[in-house]
Amino acid sequence: MRVAFGGYRAGFWWYMAAGLTLLLAFAGIGLFRGSVPLDGSDVLAVLARHLLPGEHGLADPRVDAIVWSLRAPRVVVAAMVGGCLALAGAQMQGLFRNPLASPGIVGTSTGAATGAVFALTFGLAGSFLLAAPLFAVAGALLSLLIVTRIATRDGYTPVTTLLLAGVALNALLAAVNSWLIARSWEQYEAARRIAYWMMGGVTDRGWVHAWMLLPGMVIGCAIAVWFARDLDLLLEGEEVAASLGVDIERAKRAVLWSAAILTGSAVAVSGVVGFVGLVVPHLVRLLLGPVHRRLLPAAFLTGAWFVVGADLLARTVAAPQEVFLGVVTAFVGAPFFLFLLVRHEGEVAVSR
Amino acid sequence: MTAAPAVAAAPRLELVGGGVERRGRWLLRGVDLVVEPATLISVVGPNGAGKSTLLRLLSGAWRLTEGRALLGGFDLAALPRRQAARRVAYVPQTVRPTFEFTVREFVTLGRYPHESRLFGTRSADREWIDRCLEDTDVLALAERRVTTLSGGELQRVLMARCLATEAEVLLLDEPTSNLDLAHGLDLLGLARNLACEGRSVVLVLHDLNAAARFADRVAVLDAGALVAEGAPAEVLNPDLLRRVFNVLAVPLAGSAAPVFDFEPLP
Repeated sequence: MRVAFGGYRAGFWWYMAAGLTLLLAFAGIGLFRGSVPLDGSDVLAVLARHLLPGEHGLADPRVDAIVWSLRAPRVVVAAMVGGCLALAGAQMQGLFRNPLASPGIVGTSTGAATGAVFALTFGLAGSFLLAAPLFAVAGALLSLLIVTRIATRDGYTPVTTLLLAGVALNALLAAVNSWLIARSWEQYEAARRIAYWMMGGVTDRGWVHAWMLLPGMVIGCAIAVWFARDLDLLLEGEEVAASLGVDIERAKRAVLWSAAILTGSAVAVSGVVGFVGLVVPHLVRLLLGPVHRRLLPAAFLTGAWFVVGADLLARTVAAPQEVFLGVVTAFVGAPFFLFLLVRHEGEVAVSR
Repeated sequence: MTAAPAVAAAPRLELVGGGVERRGRWLLRGVDLVVEPATLISVVGPNGAGKSTLLRLLSGAWRLTEGRALLGGFDLAALPRRQAARRVAYVPQTVRPTFEFTVREFVTLGRYPHESRLFGTRSADREWIDRCLEDTDVLALAERRVTTLSGGELQRVLMARCLATEAEVLLLDEPTSNLDLAHGLDLLGLARNLACEGRSVVLVLHDLNAAARFADRVAVLDAGALVAEGAPAEVLNPDLLRRVFNVLAVPLAGSAAPVFDFEPLP
């Protein structure tokens, strides 16, 4: 961005080191601070007991429960969710050659929400803890399946058709969600849970959620890295990419499924956390340039610290009340995005 | 013309009865064209004759509706894209890039068919990129963003990316349209040298006199059909130019190549 940062490009490793430092700092604050004041040395003792090998003295079970069962998984899940969403966003922006694309642009996050809302309204979630997340992942993948089926002719999937089909499916699923929620209005408990879930957050997330997110994250990241270079070439248009050797249909499918898995898994554990997948990849592209071998890992790390930081704000800004994480990310992300838009006018909304 | 030892002889690229239909219209039909190794072919024709379409078919970027494209005797469509890209490079007409690659990053995209998926470019690749940047006179621009380049600079960068692929067959769509006189002649000279070294080059050109001077063969397209193909002296004559281009061509004396002065038809 020639105006934005004076043509300066941040060094990749410096950027990653700074990101890692921020992530550790936010995670540290998240572990040591909370609504219950704890002694720093007690917190350290708990962490040492769980993370370091060898025998350690017994910690206060109350402190242990707060630090290891409440705060630690919350931080870890926040980092994973942020990373997955930012990575999926970077992929979608590359695939659609449009910096305004978000992870759920092909209907995957709304689809995940539909899956979860379905599980919650029909009481499945009450009988089985993992019902909502599993339905959410299924909803995301099903949405992508529908959209790609609609957009594919003779083995060819034009991205513009894909985009339009995604917009249509998003609208349809949003309507389905509203209808499901309206149906459940009399059951106060179900409606409350849906509303909480829709607003997004990592409150009360336990290790089970981290483990649940892990396979999707690993699979999604692996596919993303494997097809990172193909995205660089797709930025130059499909004709150029194909002539330089990219199997474009295969690359598009791989990128779409990878992003759907990442988005679906993230939405499954945290609900809809907006703006991370839109703003973070955009910012990282401004700083590091569009080469995806650098952009993708940097977006993942940035998403991770951004959401851990946003969750800290969510917990503390109106303590002891908690603000929803999705509200915080939108509150921080939207003005920042507008700032970029105003300062650099056309340059942010590039795709012509 | 003998192939230089450094470059393997280019494979023969041919189109057999090639035709393509889009939205019920034949953009090109019944085209038989052979691109021999170590040859520079210039494709000429009026606007909309199907010149760019011809290059797309030869590159394998578009599927043929009828006929076949063969590379070294094998069906181009059946070849894995990566393998085809190592042998045939295609430079489309200049399009403004929207993403902010540096010139070096942009040219390195041409290494895709040779790169390892996980480790990317090696130092040997980087040296080769430097050479390509040098050959097209854009080494000084290496760290510039491609979005800030002038049309001519961008065109030379595209040529560098094409060279970066190390392909033996180069398909260039109007590679000189934005170049100043000196750079235009440089580029045609470069294409000429590449052909002399054993590669085959197919150029879409609007300048018929340049085509006559630099090309071994000229292919004339009109309304989606190949109307003539052969050595410039055989093909380019006032009669054909009048029929295809609707111009009055007056031969210029004192040149070995068939060059003309053009005037509108009365």
